[in-house]
Amino acid sequence: MAYSEKVVDHFNNPRNVGSMPKEDPNVGTGLVGAPECGDVMKLQMKINPETQVIEEAKFKTFGCGSAIASSSLATEWVKGKTVEEALAIKNTEIVKELALPPVKIHCSVLAEDAIKSAINDWKKKKGIEVRPEDMPSH
Amino acid sequence: MNEDTGAFPCAVKIQMAEPHISNNPPLVCWSCHERSLGTHFCSSCGKLVQLAPNIDYFAMLEMPRKLWVEADALERKFLQLSWKLHPDKYASATEQERELSLRHSSELNDAYRTLRDPIARVEYLLSLEGMRKEGETKQQAPAELLEEVFELNESLDELREARAAGGDLAGLKARLQDAEKSFQGKLGAVDAALQSGAREWDAALDAPGGAPDVRKKLLERMNELLNRRAYLRNLTLNVAKELAA
Repeated sequence: MAYSEKVVDHFNNPRNVGSMPKEDPNVGTGLVGAPECGDVMKLQMKINPETQVIEEAKFKTFGCGSAIASSSLATEWVKGKTVEEALAIKNTEIVKELALPPVKIHCSVLAEDAIKSAINDWKKKKGIEVRPEDMPSH
Repeated sequence: MNEDTGAFPCAVKIQMAEPHISNNPPLVCWSCHERSLGTHFCSSCGKLVQLAPNIDYFAMLEMPRKLWVEADALERKFLQLSWKLHPDKYASATEQERELSLRHSSELNDAYRTLRDPIARVEYLLSLEGMRKEGETKQQAPAELLEEVFELNESLDELREARAAGGDLAGLKARLQDAEKSFQGKLGAVDAALQSGAREWDAALDAPGGAPDVRKKLLERMNELLNRRAYLRNLTLNVAKELAA
């Protein structure tokens, strides 16, 4: 099975690879994994507490090409969005953008979960209540 | 390698005398038109029967859905059945029987290939029981493991980079060796836990009424264990590969 051009592009030129200090009160960290292929994905966001805008996003993923592409795309999409807008990102949009085949859909679910869990981590730091519908989807 | 070196060593023998525990309703034999209770052969006329549409691997090997299986006994059962079902034996039979023999034999091979491996056997049972459906049930990643898994992956990356740069590898390798040992230990613990889960599952099946609540909990526990195992296994393989490079 061949990867789509977009997956290959993100895989070869991943955007926003790296990490930010976990202890930073404005940084939310999401660490999620998919046992199907042993993937592990870390997504971090620096969020402006006043405007709730995501100013910076970094990721590091150990996994297959689709998992890397999904998380790379997720960092691109969340940057500049508000927390609310980022929470509205659905894995199906990632599937569509990257043309992921059915067996790789779980990679996009993982990316959506990573976004949610990073934001929830930040919310906890800020003492903001996490809504049940924003919990990672499982 | 001895088949018994899998996660569950020898134990209770498969109860060969027990009649087939198939959950399928009896089918009508295509040849004698009697209702047949056999999995492979009609209980009335002895001809090969149509395979029940949703027959499972345990039923194919005429065994209950138990997890603690003795490798030798399983192999004997497989050989015995595959001899009886073998297409060579039907070379001069009707076309219908030749086809049936092919279907039974190939299903039987798949069944044996899966059930002979203790881990694949648990995985298969979990999918039969609706715990692991591709694309339907999302598998949970073991949370407490993630952090460690991530760090170990980072160390592996460092080692690769250091190797590419021609740097000093001794310190990194020593760290990875320690990590590998720790993960091997965890893998051993998971296998031990799976073993006891398997015994408990079998005991629950034998309990009056089949202890459905106990079994449900066991399925959940074994599912978690398998997820943990998948991570640990991948990691230890990766680490071993890097250390050997």
